Amino acid sequence: MGPTKTDTAMAPFDPNELKDTVAGNVRDPYPVMAELRRQSPVHVGPVDLGTGPEEHYGDVPPVTVFGFDECVQVLRDNETFSSTIYESVVGGVMGRTILQMDEPEHRVQRALVAPAFRSKILERWEDDLVRAVVDELIDRFAAQGHADLVRELTFNFPVQVIARILGLPRTDYPRFQRWAIAITSVAANWDRGVAASEALRDYFAEVLADRRRHPDDDLISELAAVEVDGQHLTDEEIFSFLRLLLPAGVETTYRASGNLLFGLLTNPDQLGAVEEDRSLLSQAFEESVRWEPPVTVILRRTTRDTTLADVPIPAGADVALLLGAANRDERKYEKPDEFDMFRAVRQHVGFGFGVHVCLGMHLARMETRVALNTIFDRLADLRLDPAPGQDVHVHGLAFRSPISLPVAFSAR
Amino acid sequence: MSNGIEIHIDTEACMGSGNCVYWAPGSFDLADEGHAVPLDPSATEEGRLWVAVEGCPVGAISLWRDGRPLVKEG
Ligand code: HEM
Ligand code: SF4
Repeated sequence: MGPTKTDTAMAPFDPNELKDTVAGNVRDPYPVMAELRRQSPVHVGPVDLGTGPEEHYGDVPPVTVFGFDECVQVLRDNETFSSTIYESVVGGVMGRTILQMDEPEHRVQRALVAPAFRSKILERWEDDLVRAVVDELIDRFAAQGHADLVRELTFNFPVQVIARILGLPRTDYPRFQRWAIAITSVAANWDRGVAASEALRDYFAEVLADRRRHPDDDLISELAAVEVDGQHLTDEEIFSFLRLLLPAGVETTYRASGNLLFGLLTNPDQLGAVEEDRSLLSQAFEESVRWEPPVTVILRRTTRDTTLADVPIPAGADVALLLGAANRDERKYEKPDEFDMFRAVRQHVGFGFGVHVCLGMHLARMETRVALNTIFDRLADLRLDPAPGQDVHVHGLAFRSPISLPVAFSAR
Repeated sequence: MSNGIEIHIDTEACMGSGNCVYWAPGSFDLADEGHAVPLDPSATEEGRLWVAVEGCPVGAISLWRDGRPLVKEG
């Protein structure tokens, strides 16, 4: 199917809008982080990551974790390091979700939504759904011989995949995408984000009521029907969870697929290797999530006094885990700043770790694998093709990805 | 061919992430109850098994040989 009038209504958003406000205007924060990590893997008190000293209110000093082992230790000790910190950060927009719950409530709630995100369950969406979305987007530019893969592909495909997995009617995609952007960029525009969240709640209420009457093969019907040990999800829990999927599942995947493409396009030998042997795609993706995790920082709050890497930390401290810094810890990885999909150590914390480890990682892995496979099937001789003076790079502080990926190719 | 390795999974700790299945599909599966179960340890070369062990977000997997827990070399 070619582009329709309603599809073009999706275009007005410019990925640059997310650039300086939400993402932080930082090109390469990693040297500063490496220096701070060498001083100590755990810092107590405000740190300066190159954007000026952190603002800090309250009596308890903030804590920042730069080391790999230390991040793992925090994420595995969810009694000392609580996720309730997200109540104030994202709870206002999303409602109560598993992201902000501690055990034992988290385990019960997560068990209800988890079955829908198992890789075997996701398989059925690979060809008819994900591949179809990517094919359609490529149709629009394949004949041109050049494209900006961020604007024309990576920015658009995850939201369309989620819309289809939720079983939304095609005519609703444009407004769904607008709400998704508003929620995702809530830090840049709070009122717009909250308004979108309310609109989405009302919208999902209609869809859910319909699926309760006429169940179909989609995620909303699945969530409506789940039962584990006699437990169900309430309507309110379903709305909150669905809203969480926008920032958690759409923006992350858009950024992650851009980072993988950037890693490959700037390392043509590795690009050639995956094009030749597609079974290498999974390790290439995993390496890109290590090297440039799209979400570079997650948060916890201490419930009691504790120590980390021999550093004493008081109860009630806000703890920032710098996943990007941990993934480049030189005590764990050789040449950590290089994108090398053939490296031996594969473990990373780009999807988090511990009981809150990303619920959607199998979906993200599948989507990205299918997207790259489709790109390689359709676009031969793919290479970066910047305009004179154009500086293609990964950008941002809290969220990172390339703002544009100008490429040239010949359509197959 | 057996490699003499046994896979132990602490099913109480396992939170069903599916990471082990992702890295070593022949050696792990997810049960309907939501936790991992070991399949054939020799279906995956040893290095990959260690990727699964290290990639377990809650540290629920250990590898054993001759009744003793193995420690990763290097
Ligand atoms: C490459 C893409 C992705 C990355 C890098 C990523 C990263 C993360 C990280 C770091 C966390 C942990 C947050 C914390 O512990 O504070 C997380 C949690 C989560 N992610 Fe993802 N994510 C990605 C894709 C997705 C997708 C596609 C979905 C769903 C459609 C998703 C849904 C979730 C949910 C629901 C949680 C909360 C899990 C919990 O609290 O138990 N993510 N993700
Ligand atoms: S990786 Fe660990 S937590 Fe995840 S399913 Fe396997 S054993 Fe369970």
